[in-house]
Amino acid sequence: MTATDTAPFPPTPTPATKVPPRKGNPWRPTFGGVWLVTRVELLRRRPSVKGYIFYGLLLAAILALGILVAVVAGDDMTSTPLELVLVLVLGAGMLIGPSLSATSINGDSGEGVLAPLQMTHLTAGDLAVGKLLASWFVSFAVLVTTAPFLLYAYSRSGWHWHELLTVLGVIMAVVLVSTAIGLAWSAIAARAVASVSLAHLTTGFFLIGTLVIFAFTMPLVSETVTNGQRYIDWERLTPEQSEALDEAYMTGDFSQLDAESYVCVEDTWDMSVAHTERTAWMVLVNPVVVIGEVSPIVSTETYEEDGRAAPGLFAMMHQMVSSARIGPTEFDLESSSYDECAELVRWAEAGTQTWDDSEWEDQWAEQQEEQANYPRAPWLGLAVQAVLFVGSMAIVIRRLRVPYRTLRTGTRVA
Amino acid sequence: MSILEEAPPMTEAIMARGVARAFGSVKAVQNATLSVQAGKVTALIGPNGCGKTTLMLMLAGLLKPDAGEIRVAGADPRTDSAAVRAAIGWMPDQLGSWDNLTCLQTLTLVGRAYRIPQAEARAKGLALLHRVHLDEFADRPTRVLSRGQKQRLSLARALVNDPSVLLLDEPANGLDPRSRVELREFVREIAAEGAAVLVSSHVLAELDEMVDDAVFMSKGSTLGDDAAAMVAHARTRYRVWALDEVKLREALTGGNVPFEEAEGGVIVSIADQTEAAYALAWLVGQGVQVHRFGPAGSALEQTYMAMDEERR
Repeated sequence: MTATDTAPFPPTPTPATKVPPRKGNPWRPTFGGVWLVTRVELLRRRPSVKGYIFYGLLLAAILALGILVAVVAGDDMTSTPLELVLVLVLGAGMLIGPSLSATSINGDSGEGVLAPLQMTHLTAGDLAVGKLLASWFVSFAVLVTTAPFLLYAYSRSGWHWHELLTVLGVIMAVVLVSTAIGLAWSAIAARAVASVSLAHLTTGFFLIGTLVIFAFTMPLVSETVTNGQRYIDWERLTPEQSEALDEAYMTGDFSQLDAESYVCVEDTWDMSVAHTERTAWMVLVNPVVVIGEVSPIVSTETYEEDGRAAPGLFAMMHQMVSSARIGPTEFDLESSSYDECAELVRWAEAGTQTWDDSEWEDQWAEQQEEQANYPRAPWLGLAVQAVLFVGSMAIVIRRLRVPYRTLRTGTRVA
Repeated sequence: MSILEEAPPMTEAIMARGVARAFGSVKAVQNATLSVQAGKVTALIGPNGCGKTTLMLMLAGLLKPDAGEIRVAGADPRTDSAAVRAAIGWMPDQLGSWDNLTCLQTLTLVGRAYRIPQAEARAKGLALLHRVHLDEFADRPTRVLSRGQKQRLSLARALVNDPSVLLLDEPANGLDPRSRVELREFVREIAAEGAAVLVSSHVLAELDEMVDDAVFMSKGSTLGDDAAAMVAHARTRYRVWALDEVKLREALTGGNVPFEEAEGGVIVSIADQTEAAYALAWLVGQGVQVHRFGPAGSALEQTYMAMDEERR
């Protein structure tokens, strides 16, 4: 486009090769295409100076946190710092991944840079997977950032390296799934605001919603256990009896007490016991629970002999989840009764107050141990994640295929 | 652009018949019929919102028509939209660019998306940047480009795959006068190389000198032969200005020449250049002091205005 009267027009570049004809499936992702789209997306998101400063601050904060924990913690083995980093990586990934992916299709379309790519030989799958990976790599960068502290925390966690790798793999997979969900919302919703909120709502539903629903459905699966109790009817005691009883409780000397003479009343009270074994699957769908369920089992009794740290966050979570999965024990369901009068007689005979708690304590410890060692159950959660992933990507690819049959309402092709 | 050497001569690069497309209850395109010849520039003219962009999207293979037949470079977008897209260079009306990438990166990556090898794609990017006079911006991010420069980058991007069909949606929007002249020459050259060019624009005076054919659109429908006849008629209209208008009218009335009034002069109908030369000589011979004599403005503009009049 030189001015007519000045330079002659430069010769048309003669292409050495013609554009190769487009072959193959119109939607299936290809290796080259995916890599190209990922590269474009990453180049576009290359951080500015401000971005690098923010990234530096983040790195500094993580390192500071690491040093703080290292200083404060004693020499004992502990898995808590490791678990904190893992939670941090998961949290950051689940915030960042969907935020980026949820603006990636409707945003591009609004900016007018999507359709020119759809005109090329790239398939819908290339665009979908490339955009997914580009958003996911940013979460991956967070993981890399935390690596120094992660290694330190790992060294004193008592975990085995393959356990760490498994958990990291699952964390990145869960982040990938929420990134894919964000991308799907971006393909469905016309406005970036809507798709970002919907993406975070979806993530939030799985993180918090599942727990809330689990809690709210408890009454539906509860049964009522009637407990009986007998206790001394204080209102019908003579002043002497009352005084003697007070005296006995104060001094702990029950030998002078005429226990048989006290008037007792009987009463019953209802307690509801939830059959959480029927609803525990809701909790298992939760991504954080999935992480907990793939992390190592730590026995509450034998962790020291096993060379592990005391049960940390994930082990506790596993215990709680197992408790929900096991549901109420026979002991929980059995009517219990408390008999103050009988206790009084017993104490009067013994001359002093005695407690027989060993049975309780044994039972509690046994229950803890059973819960801690209960087999892990990540599969349901992982299956749900897989379904979400496949579904989201199917939506994205369908919506990216041209020619468009329908458009997002209120948008143009671009 | 080697399409002419390698493919059998094909004159109809774009053929559309009875194409329709609705968005919900809005009938964007109702009945569009047009054909664009290879090696020619065809204008798509119509008021805002008459369905030009929608029609172009359907021709580009980005949007499915509800009804009608389309052939682009011999392929049917419904069954082989990939082949259609591969043959087309599309310059959208919306200017989008990857802000953080340089102009050269943009073109190279688009070339890669057409599966052109890296080195070749880069060479091609450089050549195209040179062609649209953006050499100096090769290594600068596209966000620094002005509107007109982005327009040119967008044009270069449309040419990356050596298209045999070029669809330009409002390419002259936002261009300065020099760039418009350049665009006009550029488009003519691409057509001379054998590509079919369909260009939509409001800047009718520009189009007048650029196009071989024109397709008019109104309310979602193309106006076929009627509009063509109107353009042909408009091309016969000459405007005559004289120092003494009364004398001019008297001469015309005396010579039995029909004329219509226009601001500052009269409009007469003249078939061709020979007749124009003869008419001017005759008028001067009648003693009329003619000071201006020439075609009555843009033929396309006149047709557009006449069409617009009908619309109201």
